[in-house]
Amino acid sequence: MTGHWMFHCKDVSRKVSETMDRKLPFHHRILIRVHLMMCKYCARFRQQLLLLRKASRIDDLTGDARNQDLSLSVEARSRMKNALKSLNEH
Amino acid sequence: MIEHLIPEPEEWVEKYGDALFRFAVARIKDPSQAEELVQETFLAALRARKNFKGRSSPKTWLIAILKHKIIDHFRKKKPEVSRVDIERFSESGDHPFNKRGAWENRPAQWGANPGKIFEQKEFLDVFYQCLSGLPERIANAFILREVDGLDTEEICKILKITASNCWVMLYRARTHLRHCLERNWLEGKG
Repeated sequence: MTGHWMFHCKDVSRKVSETMDRKLPFHHRILIRVHLMMCKYCARFRQQLLLLRKASRIDDLTGDARNQDLSLSVEARSRMKNALKSLNEH
Repeated sequence: MIEHLIPEPEEWVEKYGDALFRFAVARIKDPSQAEELVQETFLAALRARKNFKGRSSPKTWLIAILKHKIIDHFRKKKPEVSRVDIERFSESGDHPFNKRGAWENRPAQWGANPGKIFEQKEFLDVFYQCLSGLPERIANAFILREVDGLDTEEICKILKITASNCWVMLYRARTHLRHCLERNWLEGKG
């Protein structure tokens, strides 16, 4: 789909990224919103950038859920404790 | 706002060791490497303990440190797919768009239910590989913003860049990552 109104898809893709980092002026927000309603590729692009943000901020879910029974070995535990202890004493 | 306190270091291994270990194994697979990264995380956390401001839980703080370690780990390993892929992508400039500013390479659909993609193990594997394949400064900006959640102002100070520079770098990071994932995860899957 080609650009709508004053913003082309290329502009919108930049603005979509920028809205994740700062608040854009009101009229820009409106133009972007209108464009996103009409252009499924830009809308998809935005959704995917938000997914990237989510993937970066995931704390535990997948790792924890999948490997519920995994745990550090006894040796690893004591090695880590010793390493922490000796660094802490210095 | 709740202020979190961090337990004494001698309690860390018992309290957080398994969670960090699982997080690392889920991403790098090799358990002995994962153990090593967990240990490095604890030691880095101990050195940086005074930076813990209590804004997040100690576990979240430790996992953020671990994420940096995992990214470094991939960086050292020089991932074949993503780095080459990104270089190729950069060479061709802003090629997703044509001269009129419309999509040339349109974003593909990421599965029927994009909200569930994190349940697919490969997604996060490829995500970390793509992240570690970004040019260093761009990766740093992205990590500070998205992994650590800092705002533009703080990132500008750390990287000594202007705000508009920062937005451009974040845009580049995001578009490269998006593209790298689409190539290496989506196409690999299908």
